[in-house]
Amino acid sequence: MTALLRELRFLRALRVLALLLIAASSAAAHHSGTMFEQAKTITVEGVVKEFQWTNPHSWLLVDVTDKNGKVTTWGFEAEGPSTLQRAGIRPSEFKPGTKVTMTGRPMKDGRPAATWVLAVRGDGKKFDPREGFQVK
Amino acid sequence: MRLTSIVSTVLLVGSTALLVNTLRAQDGAATRQRMIDLGKQHKTADSLYLALKERARGGRRLTPTTMPDWSGVYTRARGGITFDPDQARGAPPTAKLTPEFQAKLTERIEMANKGIEWDPISTCSPPGHPRWLTEPFLRDFVVTPDQTYLINEMVNDIRRIYTDGRGHIDEADRVPLYNGDSIGFWDGDKLVIHTNQLRSGIYQRRNPDYTDQIETVEIWQKVQPGLIEVDVWVYDPPALVEPWYTRQSYAKVDDQEKTLRIRYWHCGENQNNAVAETDTGGTQFKQFTFDTPGAKK
Repeated sequence: MTALLRELRFLRALRVLALLLIAASSAAAHHSGTMFEQAKTITVEGVVKEFQWTNPHSWLLVDVTDKNGKVTTWGFEAEGPSTLQRAGIRPSEFKPGTKVTMTGRPMKDGRPAATWVLAVRGDGKKFDPREGFQVK
Repeated sequence: MRLTSIVSTVLLVGSTALLVNTLRAQDGAATRQRMIDLGKQHKTADSLYLALKERARGGRRLTPTTMPDWSGVYTRARGGITFDPDQARGAPPTAKLTPEFQAKLTERIEMANKGIEWDPISTCSPPGHPRWLTEPFLRDFVVTPDQTYLINEMVNDIRRIYTDGRGHIDEADRVPLYNGDSIGFWDGDKLVIHTNQLRSGIYQRRNPDYTDQIETVEIWQKVQPGLIEVDVWVYDPPALVEPWYTRQSYAKVDDQEKTLRIRYWHCGENQNNAVAETDTGGTQFKQFTFDTPGAKK
């Protein structure tokens, strides 16, 4: 049982590593992604403020409330509409007020922005923008 | 007994798959070498193009009933954002560069490894050909008897390939263009293209520079339903010591619901996409709307 748990943890770690590698290698096909951390991620919980469905990049804006009640709007950058659509991400999936847990590679300069690596909605559904580059 | 049988079957299937993959790889390597050798037999792109045209006896003119069906939405099948899809992960580009351009490439990669990188297309400048071949977004390929349109979603980018028998612009009137001047002919179902009159640029990030002396020859062919392959030879004497051969491929995107759309690209549409080159040659976002009260999208 312990061995099985170890294996599951290992597989989970591999998945996270794979996500990071994919994000690092294909991030920001339109501009360099060097303003983001390459090997570090952050995870925040909040509610969707706005989904900016634009080319060349879309931005999911998420309001995050800290323990003191202060609200910070975070921006998560992803590819444009067609790539997101291929990843199963549509504007209707992230209406304002939707609860979401966002994982991303944050800006190096400390501004509240990150490359969108993974979104987990309140209902548990996961959204990985890089799946939009997959070729079947 | 049953377990032994299952294990034997698994081993047999596994070894057969391995053998098939090995043979495919060997065949792929042999084909690639033949194509590299073909490019090296010609000193210029023009010479290769004319030889291909002679072999095709001048090529054929399409009619509405003989046009190949390239309809659908496609995207690059292999290569990520490297020019040569066969470049191994972590390995340097496969081009054989002159010392000057090798030094430039080495410096570019070293700077990128330090987190200093600026891509000239960051403000929606066109990637230009041949970089056009590498961009990872959606594409339409529209064949008509006299002209083929090769369309990339990125920055609304269209290459026009004239197949009505016209030649290139007179040499005295040529000026560098992002996508150059492309003429072509049909050899059966293969579209053969010669492009000159190109602007200098880069093949991709962490890839070499090319000069405005660059010319290309391409052979486009739908090799199976949903897959178009392109053999590309790049000639650029100041930068390349021999033609750079690559095979590009584009796969048809699953769009059974017919909901995919190629949309207009405009970097000014959303302030949050505005980036600028830093003093050190890096990339930085300008002002965001979401962390700046009163800023407009």
